[in-house]
Amino acid sequence: MKWNKYIFSLIFTLVSVCAVADDSIPSTAPTLSTYDKHVQRYRRHWESLIPKHIVIQNAGNMGALSVGTGWDYGKNKQWETQLLFGYVPKHQTPRAKLTMTVKENYVPFNINLNNAFYVSPLTASIYINTIYGHEFWKSQPDRYPKGYYDFMSTKFRINIAVGQRITWRIPYDKRRNSKSISLFYEVSTCDLYIRSKIVDGNVPLKDILGLSLGIKMQTL
Amino acid sequence: MIKIGKNVLIAMSAVLSLASCDDLFDTHPYDVNFSGERDINAKNIKAIESMYGNKDTLRVAFISDTHGWYSDTKDEIADINKHTNIDFVVHCGDLTDTGTAKEYEWIRDIMSQLRVPYVVLIGNHDFLGTGDQAYTSMFGDMDFSFTAARVKFVCLNTNATEYDYMAAVPNFDYMESVFAKDTANFDRTIVIMHAPPYSDQFNNNVCKAFRRYLDLAPRLMCCIYGHNHNDKVSNIYGDNLVFYSIDCPEDRNYRIFTITKDSYEMEQVYF
Repeated sequence: MKWNKYIFSLIFTLVSVCAVADDSIPSTAPTLSTYDKHVQRYRRHWESLIPKHIVIQNAGNMGALSVGTGWDYGKNKQWETQLLFGYVPKHQTPRAKLTMTVKENYVPFNINLNNAFYVSPLTASIYINTIYGHEFWKSQPDRYPKGYYDFMSTKFRINIAVGQRITWRIPYDKRRNSKSISLFYEVSTCDLYIRSKIVDGNVPLKDILGLSLGIKMQTL
Repeated sequence: MIKIGKNVLIAMSAVLSLASCDDLFDTHPYDVNFSGERDINAKNIKAIESMYGNKDTLRVAFISDTHGWYSDTKDEIADINKHTNIDFVVHCGDLTDTGTAKEYEWIRDIMSQLRVPYVVLIGNHDFLGTGDQAYTSMFGDMDFSFTAARVKFVCLNTNATEYDYMAAVPNFDYMESVFAKDTANFDRTIVIMHAPPYSDQFNNNVCKAFRRYLDLAPRLMCCIYGHNHNDKVSNIYGDNLVFYSIDCPEDRNYRIFTITKDSYEMEQVYF
């Protein structure tokens, strides 16, 4: 199937991003052989592909509920790349739909409240969502005159969001699956809605903005 | 795979319960999740047929191709409301620009400001994504008809390109049956469509067949269409059948047809 190609290329992109992300190497004993060093390096590189967190969020033009995993990287872990799968209930259509999202978050700074909690006053995100189903096309099919629907894809949506979050650093002795848990909200919109607002400025801003609530569990 | 703690489950259920608030949370542009009025054509046709069944003179406003021009459409609707003798309004399709559920809601909320009943045809833009499903849910069947003042208004889906020409569009069987049905209740016919014959959306292999089927319509007065964003009046087939093109609100004009017992007049209204 066509979309397999996209999933593979997306995963490949994520892999390359993460491979350069983690560079903190614990110093190794000098007694290690060349082969051991190789194995160590080999394992370390592949380990960097292990997802660092789990994210669950609602809405945001990705579905009623999306579940995904992601990687934190950067000097202060200010960058996050996430892969999410969302569920769109059938509502007034014949069937429910699946969506997939690649999401990039930027969390420029954090403010410590106390030892246990800190807030991230700003999160900025851009994400591409794709919806599966025969109704949707990546670019206009051949049946249309050239350039007829060139301005859009019904399958891919580019979304932007800003939000805030609060994080609880779980004390070491109380940790079970996660070392920290964040609750966040985001206000988002997508390309089609921005286009509507550009075509007619009287489209109310509140109609094109949507709220999303979520939880992020830091497993690594 | 992952053991999820009790707190997480509580948080998840909180998120889920909030997710049921429709206005605040956006599931997906093509989720077809409306609030408010649905099945509008059927309700309005019932009103039209009961109010104007035996009227002598009928005044019908035709608008089309509102797309994303909400301000212009609001002005158009306000102008129609000023004409107190209009009986009902027909929208010739392309309500929306990209077929999203929100666009359907926005235009419906503007159309609902009309003081008279209205019906809506589906245009090619209204098919995008799940737009056709949204149309069916909000307005109803894509081919439909109704009778007012002993004139049968036959509204046809002619957007063949949206089906890659693989569907019965235009539906000749429907045309044949609708023209022959309840002939005691009407004397004349008006055929309305979004895309006219020979346009990029019509199945142009059957243009002449379509003309033949139009001959089955009892005393066909004229055809009315949208799609082209202009105000052309032409004999598309080079015979005496007149086709009226309905302009878009951006061009700030629409048409009113006054149908009397034995003829009709067309007025182009600028606003």
